[in-house]
Amino acid sequence: MTDAADGPAGAVAAAAERRTAPPWWALALVAVALIAAAFAIGRFTTFAAAPALPTTDSPEAGFARDMQVHHGQAIEMAMDIYRTTVNDGVRVLAYDIATTQSAQKGEFYDWLVKWNLPQRGGPLMSWMDASDSAHQHGAASASASDDDLMAQMGMASAADLAQLRAESGAAADCTFLRLMIRHHEGALPMAQALLDLGHEPRALQVAASIRATQSAEIELMTSLRAGLACTD
Amino acid sequence: MTPTSSGKRQSGNPATQAAIDLTVKQQREQQKQQKLAEYERGLARRRRSRLTWWIVGSTAALVVIGLVAASIIFAPKPATYDAGGTGAEIEGVETFTNETKHVEGTVDYPQNPPAGGPHNQYWLNCGVYDQPQQNENAVHSLEHGAIWVTYDAARVSGDELATLRSLLPSTYAILSPYEGLPSPIVVSGWNTQLKVDSASDPRIAEFFEEYWRSQNVPEPGAPCTGAIDGPGKQS
Repeated sequence: MTDAADGPAGAVAAAAERRTAPPWWALALVAVALIAAAFAIGRFTTFAAAPALPTTDSPEAGFARDMQVHHGQAIEMAMDIYRTTVNDGVRVLAYDIATTQSAQKGEFYDWLVKWNLPQRGGPLMSWMDASDSAHQHGAASASASDDDLMAQMGMASAADLAQLRAESGAAADCTFLRLMIRHHEGALPMAQALLDLGHEPRALQVAASIRATQSAEIELMTSLRAGLACTD
Repeated sequence: MTPTSSGKRQSGNPATQAAIDLTVKQQREQQKQQKLAEYERGLARRRRSRLTWWIVGSTAALVVIGLVAASIIFAPKPATYDAGGTGAEIEGVETFTNETKHVEGTVDYPQNPPAGGPHNQYWLNCGVYDQPQQNENAVHSLEHGAIWVTYDAARVSGDELATLRSLLPSTYAILSPYEGLPSPIVVSGWNTQLKVDSASDPRIAEFFEEYWRSQNVPEPGAPCTGAIDGPGKQS
């Protein structure tokens, strides 16, 4: 009888004791839950910070692809005149253009590598359609051939390049400067379009510096042409 | 005769003592019942609170699991593109391992047409050719990231050749006829090759997207201009 009376009382006391001291596994579970919640919150805080990479249709990707084509021809022309010119001013300009644009072309190449995008994209300048520069540039026409689009980008035609290679002396220098001024003028709307449409900070920085340096080189080439008394 | 408890309480005979005893017993019994009831109420309370803890605990566990899952599922993903992928995803693309070095004279290449290997120091300028080109020069262009599109002139001409030409990018691509091809058209990059029957095969564009100017060639970014033009250059 006393056992029967003590039994429930003992159980109540034990229960009270259990309430004040939760079992170790409950504490462990709570700790695990707190760590997991902290882990999740930590991940959430990185979401906003993670920069969204430019996509294959982005102005940054289009600029990176088309500027490689554009710079590639500038390097080719600069290396051609570097081999043949006897004018020191033209030679050092050609060296400057070839090495500077090779470095920039490599950077554009690497943007696409880092962004996991193919080097191959849509038609030339199609990324500029949404920009005001596209209209000055005449990029809106979707049916244009690559040759037409390259001409709109200020690039030299096969006939221009053949002329440059056939000439020598001051005539070649004048042709080179004329083609390169037009070439640089074609780069300016592309740089402007990226500044209008783009977001990626480094790409915007490079576009701004291309706009500045190529404008300055156009002035230099214009004065070199004046010094050579070019008439073409 | 069975005595009733009320009868026992009313009785004044010696059975009264027994009745008193019984009353004490009853009182004890009553106390015991009270304690038991209290215990059972406590038990029920504990059961209820345990249930509450189970509900709270499992809800909290679900919330935490949900949080962790959401932090993984909704994490921003780096941009990827589907076409091509690793190359194995374009059906029919073969890949190879070739060495890269400059040599004089002709080379006996393991692939036909060659898709990498020793080559001449002069690369072939990229463009459209209407005559077969020297392997050793074209392979050097592949090393720079160009794609060489070769066709069997007896089987590919006219409109089909024009279609094939329209698929080429303006730079870093060579188009030329080739003698003794294993299929009407073979598209080759450094260490990679695709044989197709027709210029309308969509895998040609996929191949260009995957391998044109690939970062996996030995000299990515090196030019495909400024060296030598082969015979029959059209553009």
